[in-house]
Amino acid sequence: MISTLSYTKTQSQNLILLGFGLVLGLVLLMSLSMGAFSIPFPQTLAILFDQVGMSLGTFEMQQENVLLQIRMPRVLMAILVGGGLGIAGAALQGMFRNPLVEPGLIGVSSGSALFAVIFMVLVPVTASLAWIKPIGLPLFAFVGGLINVLAVYKLSKSRGRTDAATLILAGVAINALAGALIGLVLFFADDSALRSFTFWSLGDLGGATWRKIPVSLVLIAIPSALLLFNSRQLNALALGEQEAFHMGVNVQRVKLQLLVFSALIVGAGVSMVGMIGFVGLVVPHLIRILFGADHRLVLPGSFLLGAILLNFADLIARVIVIPAEMPIGVITALIGAPFFIWLIFNLNKSKN
Amino acid sequence: MLKASKVHFCIRQRPIVDEVSLELNPGEILAVLGPNGAGKSTFFKILSGDIECKHGAIGYNGHDIYTLKSRELAEVRAVMPQHTQVNFPFTVQEVVELGLISTKAKDPSKLIREVLEATNTTHLKDQVFNTLSGGEKQRVQLARVLVQIWETKPFPRYLLLDEPTSSLDIAQQHAVLKILETLKTRNIGILVILHELNLAAQYADKIALLKNGMIAKTGTVEDVLEEEILAHVFDHPIHLIPNPATGGVFVSSAASSHPNIQTFKQA
Repeated sequence: MISTLSYTKTQSQNLILLGFGLVLGLVLLMSLSMGAFSIPFPQTLAILFDQVGMSLGTFEMQQENVLLQIRMPRVLMAILVGGGLGIAGAALQGMFRNPLVEPGLIGVSSGSALFAVIFMVLVPVTASLAWIKPIGLPLFAFVGGLINVLAVYKLSKSRGRTDAATLILAGVAINALAGALIGLVLFFADDSALRSFTFWSLGDLGGATWRKIPVSLVLIAIPSALLLFNSRQLNALALGEQEAFHMGVNVQRVKLQLLVFSALIVGAGVSMVGMIGFVGLVVPHLIRILFGADHRLVLPGSFLLGAILLNFADLIARVIVIPAEMPIGVITALIGAPFFIWLIFNLNKSKN
Repeated sequence: MLKASKVHFCIRQRPIVDEVSLELNPGEILAVLGPNGAGKSTFFKILSGDIECKHGAIGYNGHDIYTLKSRELAEVRAVMPQHTQVNFPFTVQEVVELGLISTKAKDPSKLIREVLEATNTTHLKDQVFNTLSGGEKQRVQLARVLVQIWETKPFPRYLLLDEPTSSLDIAQQHAVLKILETLKTRNIGILVILHELNLAAQYADKIALLKNGMIAKTGTVEDVLEEEILAHVFDHPIHLIPNPATGGVFVSSAASSHPNIQTFKQA
C-alpha cells in the first residue's frame, strides 16, 4: 500500500511541476506579446514557430525584431534570474534550516553587489583586462556573495544549529557593511564607472541582450541543475546536521556544494540585473505551504515559480506605465513585503 | 563488536570523558547510567562519531571509526539523539523515509511499513511531524532510526539511543524497550542511555555506571546493581527491593530522612 503511495507521490510531484511548466509557458507568451509595442498572440506564435521552420501566418519584420532581439533575451534572463533566486533561496533555507533565510536578507546579494562595484570601478583602470568583463563581473559577484554567505553562516551557527536572531542580526550587519563599502568604492570611481554603476543598480531586466545569455546560462542554469542533486540530502539536513551525519550524509561536502552553487547563482543574477529582493524568500515558502517540504519538489518547483513570478513582475513593470518602465525591484517588493509581514505574523502566532 | 578503548575528551583541560573503555556485543542491551554531568552525552557523541576523541579509539566491527566514511558508518550504526527538531512541514512518512537515505534497501516500502507498525505510528504517517505530541514525535524518530538498520545484514550492527524514553508515558517506555529487546535477535547491539534505573534493571543485559567522566562500574545487571555503589554514583540513598513481578530487583530512590545526607542546596 505504501509503495503505491510513494509512487503516486512522485506522480503528483511530476504533475505539479508540469502544471508550473504550463503556467510558465503561458506567462512567457504574454510577456513576449505584451508591452509598449504590442504584438498580437497569433503573430507571436507565428514568429516563434517560424524559427523552427513552421509557417503559421504572416507577421511584420518589426514585430519579429522586437520579439526576437528585445523581448526574447529579456524573458530568458527573467527565467534564469527568477528561477535562480527561487532555487537558491530554497537551498539556503534548507541548509540554514531556517525559513527566514533569503539571499538579500542574509547579505549574499549585497556581497555580490559590492564585488560587482569593485570590479566595475577597477577594471577600466587596467584596460588590458577589459576582455574578461563579460565573465569577470559575474565571477567577482560570486566571490562577494560566497564571502558574505560564509561569514553569516559562521556567525549565526552555534552548536550545530543556526539561531534565527543571530542570523538576522548578522545579515543586517553585513548588509550595512557592504552598503558602506559600496559607497566608499564609488567615492573613488571615475565618471564612466559611476555611469555603469547607476545603470546597473537600477536593477531592471531592460539591459538583457543575447550577448549576456550564454554566460548566465552557464553560471545560473548549471549550478541550479547541480543543486537538484542535493535535494535528498537537504531533506536529511532538515532534521539537523548531526542527524544527517548519522544517516550517512557527508554534511561538510553537501554544505560546501550548497553554498558555492547558491552564491554562484545569486552572484551571476545580481551582476546581470541588479538586486531583486523577495523572490528567494517568497517562492520556496509558497511551494512549502502548498505542497509540503520535500526538497525533491521544493527545489525544482522554486525554480519554475521564481521564473513565473519574475516574468510576471517584469510584465507588470513594462505595461503599468507605458511607455516608461517601473523598476522591477519595486514590483517584487510590493508583492514580497506584505507576504513577509504575513509570514512573521504567522511565525509569531505558531510560537505562542 | 563496538569497542571503545581508553576514550578521552577534555574541554579546557578538564576531562569530560576520562579514559573510558567499553565493549558492546551484538545481541545485547547495554544501559549507560549516571548522574547529570557524568559525561554520558559526550561519550555518546564520541561513540556516534559526532565529535572526535583526543585520545583513545573507537572500533566498529574492528574498523576504526575515523577511517569509515559517513555512509559506511551509517550502515553499521544508527543513532537516536535526545531531541530532533524539524523546521519544515515534513510528514511522518517523509521523516521515516529519510532513514533510508544512504542505504540501498531492496524493498523500502516494506521496511517502512514494518517500523511504523513496530513503533505504533502507522496511523500518523500522513500527518505533519511538527503537529505531533512529544511522545508521538519520539516514536516517529525511533521509527526513522530503526528503518536504517531494519533490513537483515550479514554483519553485526549497533543502535545508540540517548534517553529514548524521556517524553514517553509508562506504557510507551516499556513498549520502546520491548522493541529494543526484539532487535537483539537481529544481530544488533544496543547502547542506551537511561535515567530510569528500573527500566535498566528490567531490560538491560549489562550496565555501565558513569560518574565524573569515568566508569564507576560495569558488568551484568546483578553485578552492578548494588546499593552501595549506586548510592555513591548518584549521591543519593538507593534501596534494592526484590521485585515479585519480574523476579529481579526494584530500585527505590525514596528520599531518606537521614540528617547526614547531602541536600540539593549543599551540593
